[in-house]
Formats: sequence, structure tokens, C-alpha cells
Amino acid sequence: MELKTQNLVYEYDSGTDYAKRALDGVDITIGKNEFIGLIGHTGSGKSTLIQHLNGLLKATEGQVLWNGRDIYSAGFDRRELRGHVGLVFQYPEYQLFETTVLKDVCFGPKNRGLSEEDAICRAREALTLTGIDEKYYESSPFDLSGGQKRRVAIAGVLAMQPEILILDEPTAGLDPGGRDEILGRVAGIQRETGSTVILVSHSMDDIAEYVDRIIVIDKGCIAFDDVPVRVFSHVEELEKMGLSAPQITYVMHTLKNAGFNVDTDAITVKEAVDSIMGQIRPHF
Amino acid sequence: MFKDITLGQYYKTDSVIHMLDPRVKLAGTLIYIITLFLGKSFFMFIPAAVFLVSMIILSKVPVSYVLRGIKPIIPLIIISSVFNLILTPGNVLVGFWIINITSEGIYMAVFMIVRLLLLITGASILTLTTTPTKLTDGMEMGLRFLKVFKVPVHEIAMMMSIALRFIPILVEETDKIKKAQMARGADFESGNIFKRAKAMIPLLVPLFVSAFRRAGDLAMAMEARCYHGSEGRTRMKPLIYARRDYIAYAIVLGYLGLMIVMAVFGV
Repeated sequence: MELKTQNLVYEYDSGTDYAKRALDGVDITIGKNEFIGLIGHTGSGKSTLIQHLNGLLKATEGQVLWNGRDIYSAGFDRRELRGHVGLVFQYPEYQLFETTVLKDVCFGPKNRGLSEEDAICRAREALTLTGIDEKYYESSPFDLSGGQKRRVAIAGVLAMQPEILILDEPTAGLDPGGRDEILGRVAGIQRETGSTVILVSHSMDDIAEYVDRIIVIDKGCIAFDDVPVRVFSHVEELEKMGLSAPQITYVMHTLKNAGFNVDTDAITVKEAVDSIMGQIRPHF
Repeated sequence: MFKDITLGQYYKTDSVIHMLDPRVKLAGTLIYIITLFLGKSFFMFIPAAVFLVSMIILSKVPVSYVLRGIKPIIPLIIISSVFNLILTPGNVLVGFWIINITSEGIYMAVFMIVRLLLLITGASILTLTTTPTKLTDGMEMGLRFLKVFKVPVHEIAMMMSIALRFIPILVEETDKIKKAQMARGADFESGNIFKRAKAMIPLLVPLFVSAFRRAGDLAMAMEARCYHGSEGRTRMKPLIYARRDYIAYAIVLGYLGLMIVMAVFGV
């Protein structure tokens, strides 16, 4: 399984005076069992990019290749592709429409042509993965809390069992508790299903802990595509793009400059604590 | 999908028509429409057409834009002229089965087409040169006298401007929901009419839910700012008549006078 973009260009209002390039020659390759963070400032083109990956938008120039086949070529079934590349939009809870949670989650698998029983089976699996308790299966999705609604909506895409799951700002508008719950669940899904997950965000702190590859997009171009540690070493460039390294990176850099021999590559709070404690302990 | 919807098809230029007080334009349009129904002969349309063409020239709106407003009412024009053509009694020219085309019918059909064209074009000049906000402001001010009869003029105007304001938001929302459902494999394009209608449910339910949610939020925000209707409310941009508005009133009244005279003398 491989999803690849080649020199992808997308222009809004193409051919008019208002034409604006949202994507300007994007080349990325997404393989199996990856956990990717896609980061960019508001208006950098990240939402536009992900809508190309499942064929919702048609590129002005360039190609998107799914297992080597051009998704815009004649005869390519883009509806089928959307089952393989699951896209969860921002505020996905606004897409809920069915009378019960279970039925809503069944919508996706049924569109893939599954029977009622198979769809329900997959829906249950997906709801378990997103941590929705069985007692809610028959209640109306509109009666749930904000965080629950969002998890049901994510389950709605997950139930199609996509090989690539893309989540656009899954934590937007949630409190810290809800945020950690969602991100923890997503990380769990990635581990358990072995599928590739792309987390789209504008905040490094959100994703630094989880992902093992970060793609930074700026003004429609890929700025960095590397492992987190190496991306975070470009703090100044990131700041110019309106982004920042995780807060912990700043703490470690400050400590280092103050004369402590700490590890500036620490990304998570735990790594940072270990590194700092390692420096402090010998003094006791 | 809904990109073609342009309610409030405002076209910005710096013409004198654009600068006029919306009340003048509303009154002028109303008078113009009334005059179209005053007479029964084609001669009545000559001053009306002259009036209309001068307004179009003065407004500096491209003619192609003005004519675009006619497109949606073409079916209406066709239907009305067909009925006029076959249902007007009189001197039969062509007759077969129960359909009789009379000379009076042809006359009436052409007459109605001209009248409708003049009417729609005139009305679209109003919306082309006036922003929806100004239009509702003008209506509110112009209809203030109805308050005597306990008509909540301000509230109605407020509802109208909110409704207009929400159209682009809901269009955008529809697009988003549509894409979200397509990402879940929804199919809006294929199948027969029943299948397509059913496919609209995943689109319409979230759209309604979100419209109600937005309405609730807006009401809350308005109350938080102590909105309480028209009582004691002042405006940021009060409507004040300028000299050009009085001149415009005079021209409109002159035109009305001419049309009345023509109608009375049966030209």
C-alpha cells in the first residue's frame, strides 16, 4: 500500500483574477504503518492537501497515485478510494445524522457495500476502539457530549477500516482532558490496527508525543519531512512559519544555555524529566 | 453546487444610483412597477423603457449583468405567454381541437412579455445597486409608519437581514457536510430521483441541526449584548436624505405624473 503525490498543485478559482495557489508542487509518499503529523499554520494548505489524498479535490496540476495508479484517471473509482483513505474532517460531529449512534457509524461501511450484519460488526469494533460505551449505542448521537460526539464521528470513518486514517485537527475545540483522550485513542488505534495515521494540526505540542514522522507545510510547499527530533532542531525556521517547537524543547534549550548538560532532543515531558533528573542526581 | 445562488446580487460601482438613499430607490421601484400596470397599450411602455434605460446607464452596471436577472424568469414568461396565447377569446386566427389562437391572444402574449421583462429588469436594478443591508434599512425606515398599527417593523427587518447574512454561511456549511459525507462513501451524483432524494438525508439533517445551533448561538450573543429590539435604538449609519435624493424623488414623481396623464387620456 502506498499513497504518493507528485508535483501536486492546486489553485482556488483557477483561471480567474482571484486565482490563489493553495498547493505549489507537493511531493510526499505515505507508506504502511506510519504515524505522521502534518503541521502547518492556518492557511498553509494542509486541509487542501488532505482533501486531495482521497480525491475530494481535483488537482490543478500533478498527480496523486494510489498503489501506482493515478486517482484522477478515467475509470478510477474514487468512492472506493475513500474507503481506503479515511478522512475525518474538522469538527466531524457536525456530520452526524442518524437516529442512533450505531446506525450512524454503520453509514460508512454500508456505503462500501457491506451487509447489515457486517456493517454492525465493524461499527461495534470501531466504537470500541474509540472508547464509546455500549450503553450509548442505541441513543441519539445528538444527546452525547462534545467529546463523545467527536469520537462517534471518528468511529464513523474508522468503521470503513481504512488503510490510511487522516484526522484534521481532531482536538480542535476540546478541553485538555478531551484532547488527551482523543489523541490517546488515536495512538491506540494506530498501534492496534497497524494502519497509517496522519494527524493534521497547527500545534507541535499536540502531536510531538505521538508521531514518528512530521511533515511541515508552509505556503503550499513541503518545508520539512523528517523524524520529529530533526524537524524540531529547525526552531528558527519553524517560528518564521508561525509555528513553534514543543514547549519542552524551549525549556531544554534554555537549560542547556544556562550551563546544564541536558539532552535538547527530548520531545516528551517524560524524556525531559529523565534527562534533567540525570543531571541533578549526581549532585545529591 | 450552490455557487450559483446569488441573492442580493449587488454590483459595486460609484454611480449616483448607488449613492441614492435606499428609501428613494424602494419608492422609485414601487412607483415604476405600478406604472407598468396603468395602461393597456404599448405606448405606455415607451416612457417606462426610457426611464429604465436611463437608470441602467446612470447605474454604470454592465448590461450583461442586468440581463442576467432575466434568466431565472424565462420559464415564467414562457408559461404566461402560452396561456395568454391560447386562452384569450376573440378573433380566431388558427384553431384546432380546443386550442384557438386569436389575434387578441398574440397581442396579449407579447404585451405580457414586454411588461414582465420591464418589471423584472427594473426590480433587479434595485438589487444590483443596493446592498441587502441598505435595502432592509431602507424598508425599516420607509415602513416605520406601520408601527402605529403595532407592526414590529424593526424586528421584521432584523430577521430579514439575519436571513440574508446566513445564506453564504449555510452554503459553505452545506459544502463542508457534503464533503464529510462523501469521505464516508456517500454518493450524491448517481441513481434515480428517489435514490438521490434519499441520499440528501445525511446532508440535510446535519445542515438543519447546525442552522438551529447557529441560530441559538446568535440569539445568545445578541442577548449578551443587551439587544432588546427597536426601542431606543440608534444607528451607526442613519439614513439622511441628501439633495440628490430630493431631485430623484422629483424625477420619479414627474415620471409618475406623465404615466398617469397618458393613462387618463388613453394613449
